[in-house]
Amino acid sequence: MAIQSPPEPAVSHSVRKQLLAPGKFRLFGRNRDWWIKMFFEGNAAISVVVLLLIVFTLFREAAGFMPGNRQNLEVYRRAGLEYVDILKRQTTEYAALGRQLGAVRLAWLQKLRAQGLDLPAANTRLAALDALDSRLAEAIGAHETILSEMTEHASSVKERVTVGQDMAEVRRNLLGGIAGADAAHAAKLQSGADAVVLETIDFVAEANVLIGRFPELQTANRNLSAELASILAALPHSGDPAIDKPLARFGDRLADFGASIPEREAELARWRADRPVTFLEGFNAFAFGREWITASFWQDWYGVLPLFFGSVFISVLALAIAIPLGICAALYVNQVARPWEQGFIKPYIEFISAIPSVVLGFFGIAMLGETLRQLSQVAWLSWVPGFPMQERLNGFTAASLLALMAIPTIFTLAEDALQNVPKALREASLALGASRVQTILKVILPAALSGITAAILLGFGRVIGETMVVLLCAGNRIAIPDLSLGLGVAFQPVHTMTGIVAQEMGEVVRGSLHYRALFMVGCLLFLLSLGINYGAQKIVRRYRLPQS
Amino acid sequence: MSTSPQAPARRSILRQPSWRARAEALFFLLLRMGTYSVLFAAAVVFLDIGIKGGRVVFQLSPPFINVPFLTQSPETLNVFTADGAKVKMGDREFRAFKAAHPEKLRDVPVETYVYSAGGIFPNIVGTVLLVVGSMVIALVLGVCSAIYLSEYAREGPFIRLVRLSIANLAGVPSIVFGLFGFGLFVVALDWNVSLLAGWFTLAFMVLPIIITASEEALRSVPKGLREGALALGATKFQTIRTNVLPYALPGILTSSVLAIARVAGETAPIMFTAAYVVRDQMPWQVEKWTDFFFQGVMALPYHIYVVASKIPQNDYTRDVQYGTAFVFLFTVAGIALAAILLRARLRKQYRW
Repeated sequence: MAIQSPPEPAVSHSVRKQLLAPGKFRLFGRNRDWWIKMFFEGNAAISVVVLLLIVFTLFREAAGFMPGNRQNLEVYRRAGLEYVDILKRQTTEYAALGRQLGAVRLAWLQKLRAQGLDLPAANTRLAALDALDSRLAEAIGAHETILSEMTEHASSVKERVTVGQDMAEVRRNLLGGIAGADAAHAAKLQSGADAVVLETIDFVAEANVLIGRFPELQTANRNLSAELASILAALPHSGDPAIDKPLARFGDRLADFGASIPEREAELARWRADRPVTFLEGFNAFAFGREWITASFWQDWYGVLPLFFGSVFISVLALAIAIPLGICAALYVNQVARPWEQGFIKPYIEFISAIPSVVLGFFGIAMLGETLRQLSQVAWLSWVPGFPMQERLNGFTAASLLALMAIPTIFTLAEDALQNVPKALREASLALGASRVQTILKVILPAALSGITAAILLGFGRVIGETMVVLLCAGNRIAIPDLSLGLGVAFQPVHTMTGIVAQEMGEVVRGSLHYRALFMVGCLLFLLSLGINYGAQKIVRRYRLPQS
Repeated sequence: MSTSPQAPARRSILRQPSWRARAEALFFLLLRMGTYSVLFAAAVVFLDIGIKGGRVVFQLSPPFINVPFLTQSPETLNVFTADGAKVKMGDREFRAFKAAHPEKLRDVPVETYVYSAGGIFPNIVGTVLLVVGSMVIALVLGVCSAIYLSEYAREGPFIRLVRLSIANLAGVPSIVFGLFGFGLFVVALDWNVSLLAGWFTLAFMVLPIIITASEEALRSVPKGLREGALALGATKFQTIRTNVLPYALPGILTSSVLAIARVAGETAPIMFTAAYVVRDQMPWQVEKWTDFFFQGVMALPYHIYVVASKIPQNDYTRDVQYGTAFVFLFTVAGIALAAILLRARLRKQYRW
């Protein structure tokens, strides 16, 4: 937009000077306007740069996780911890059998007491069961001994590996200092580095120590099988179906356990310490691992599955509350409410989104959790699955607060979508004699469906990325809840991806495997949010209504 | 958009059976109940914190406001029995008391509760600093960005990329921004836990909100104003400066107030980038002026998190919890309310 100035000397007139004088400013052959435009363009590029920086930072910090975790798993295998864990699983299952028998005994005892027997008499009646119980406990003795000795051995090997890694790091640091140091200091560093003794561990020999116990285990297994068979044969009958049924169930599990003994033995026999850990195995341990255990003396596990499950579980629960209410409110405000109601409800709901999440979380801890727990203990509500609640802070407490956060998002976007439905559709429907409900449900709602779906997706994105409420109110138990509880599973405590990052990031050693694992979780969250956003945009673009 | 009750008239024309009308009424009642239950739930949150926190922040005797709570630093509370009465003292007072009357404290068990005495002044200051700094950065970047998008940009791959980035940035969870800020500013740039790191993290987080709002405000300025200026021979930038920005400014600022509420309310991004659990110095007590930018601060939201979940719970901590939550909630809510009201007024005022 270059305008030639008139040839005669410009009159000193401020507007004229300001408007008609061409800029004399030139830099690299460009005039001022070009530079101003570049300045704004550079600012516009900031959001691209930020997004790239986020990607770069997250992936850079997370990059070392996969190889690190593979090494972690390799030590687990080489040092024989994996071998020991096979045996440990067996004894853990066995302990569960003992607990089951104990539960049966308790039920039987209560039954007997209810029948009017006093405690000593009841105990005599149960003597046969008690004898079996102690036989059951003794039968695993040999395994326990072997297990504890093997555990000690394996953990000592692992300890040596860890020390070795630390020493190698010390040596690396000393050697790294040589480059910039003067001669005398360099010599000192070199001698210091040479003084670091790196123990080479003979993993094969160490593993053979463990495998050497295998014949012993075989003998123990044979004895255990025989003992279990005789216990199974000696299981008493109460004559009462209410007791016999769990007793029979216990017998079944006992038989199952007995049948699994050869399997476990074969698994132990198959095990090789020098089998390499494949990349896929390392990936599976992260993506599908069911345990997130850190700073453990035995073995650290970074399995994201329980956290991922917890995040999705809470989000679904929250959306189950927020979607009906949010859409309800949008329909009401858009279709039914009078103008004064609209003018009051719309800002009010928008205002709800301004409640800081940490305040909602605090409200959950201080009020809602306790109120819900007391409510769940009311007798006439005991038909609700999961009542009475065991924990004050659980998935439902967090989800109901998250729902309150998601409702404004869903409401605002859904209301926009309803607003964008052409008036002609509604008028045509009413003119054809449809009632208002019919018009709403069969004409307006389907027409706005794409917008409402996008609203739900964005609400989902808001909920799954929310941190403080879940950190404070979800109960923070890292485990996949017991899904066999049916709907009552809603009242189980869970932990989430956002929660774990917020909880552990502050205390973790920078650069450690744990640190990188948390960044992996961050990457996962980031990709998830991108996916949700992409889906929402796509839906809106694809099903856009023609505007009248 | 609402249609005030025409239902009776239509019913008489179409002669629908009355059960239908009743079902319709029931449906609307259901919608209304759903809507009002949401409003009710939010009101419960406000009332609970308003009433319990109000008792901490306000008092019945003059000056009616609990001044020490708003002007002192958090302290450890000491509770003990002296002269047959239960005494509650903050740490500083307690030490002075101990020096003055050592005999009164001999063999007296003293219970201590962290953060339960004193006030939340440093937290308020820290939050204000974080908000002001990050809003300055975000407004400069965001408004310039919006000017480009609305005034200069022509459709093309670059603009599409920018818009895509803005849309995606808006959906990134706040904790991921926290991780990003930690990884980039705290670790890679070695700023440590500092105001500067918190500013940039928060600024980048609200950037999409500010850009979107500013662009909307800029676009709502009528074309005629720009064309008039250009026709008089003004350059593009002169046009923007004299004929676009002044008219868009109120819109930009009001929408930015909502962003302030967002910045002040977030905890996750500052948890590892800017917030300290406790810090003895006030932010202005620094040796060199550059240290000011590289110091961590205490912040209200983080303080709520700490007192609500990191310390043992008892009746004494209740007060400081509710008091902090009250101050925080009603400050943020006040800012948001102002923004919403201002915007409503603005929409009425400027009808081009």
